[in-house]
Amino acid sequence: MSGALKRFRVMAIIAGVMSLLLWFVDLPVVYLFNNEDWKSMVAWIPFVHGWIYAAYVLTALQFATKARWSLKKTVWLILAGTLPIASFAAERRVVRQYS
Amino acid sequence: MTQKSSFLTKVGQTVAVLLVTALFVSLGLWQLQRAADLKESLQVATAIDTNIVPLESITSPRQAIPPSALNRTVSITGKYIANFKAANQKDGNEDIQDWESALLQVGDRSAILVVRGLWSERLLNSDIEQSMDIQVEGLLVASQDGDRARNAPGEISRLDSAVVTSLTDLDLFDGYVVATSEVTRDQLLERTRVVPEKLKSRISGFYWQHLSYVVIWWLMAAVVVFLPFYRRRVST
Repeated sequence: MSGALKRFRVMAIIAGVMSLLLWFVDLPVVYLFNNEDWKSMVAWIPFVHGWIYAAYVLTALQFATKARWSLKKTVWLILAGTLPIASFAAERRVVRQYS
Repeated sequence: MTQKSSFLTKVGQTVAVLLVTALFVSLGLWQLQRAADLKESLQVATAIDTNIVPLESITSPRQAIPPSALNRTVSITGKYIANFKAANQKDGNEDIQDWESALLQVGDRSAILVVRGLWSERLLNSDIEQSMDIQVEGLLVASQDGDRARNAPGEISRLDSAVVTSLTDLDLFDGYVVATSEVTRDQLLERTRVVPEKLKSRISGFYWQHLSYVVIWWLMAAVVVFLPFYRRRVST
């Protein structure tokens, strides 16, 4: 359980940082500014975010299974990785409950 | 829980797992198709056919430019009816300059945007009148997607017939021509021609990027299939 918790915490923080980069750097550059150089500079963000999120989902599923969470709670935990801040909040809540 | 409701729950869970798995596998197949389309369109975009063909033999006004017509060298005869500054254009050497573009009327009913050369050289052939017939040869390329400047009188934000539709009643061709030569009254017009920007696929992203998304979606499909067994193992 502690191994699954540690893995989830690490991935929740990394996924949170990537979500912040995606929402507040990549998306504004792509949709608000018309600068091809900037666009090419941030092109790695959605790609890396995709892989980080996949890893986050795996760790969230492992943690939720070991903690015997309900399906509904597990789905919320998975969705938390898609929004900025939400994965940080989920990580804090999990730490409070299981540490 | 009765035996019947337990059975129904298991059937429901199995159906849900199968549906989600099918969804993830389909999304992986979609990304695989995107990767294949991207590869194909890049091949079209980089292929150079040096045969000169009349514009109207490979595309028509008021319709999307066919992929097979992209990057073809075309010949057109017509007359210039309007000139525009196309600012902040990047050429194939990555140099950003202002270009002179013009609307060339082809026949009685249609027109196409032509990049004539550098804006700074627009007065080199000041003897050209708008009523003069002119033969243009050049590369037919796809319309630009993003604005390079603001739309203003005498200025267009990007090389795209969509931004000049309100200025003319003529039927416009999709795409634009980067002129390599202009001839009028058997006289070749001398001026610096721009090197077209390297063509890109209209499908966003990179080939390997789409392939990596295939791996992610199919990994997720495998996780969904494996998860019920994992839950059972953990609970025992």
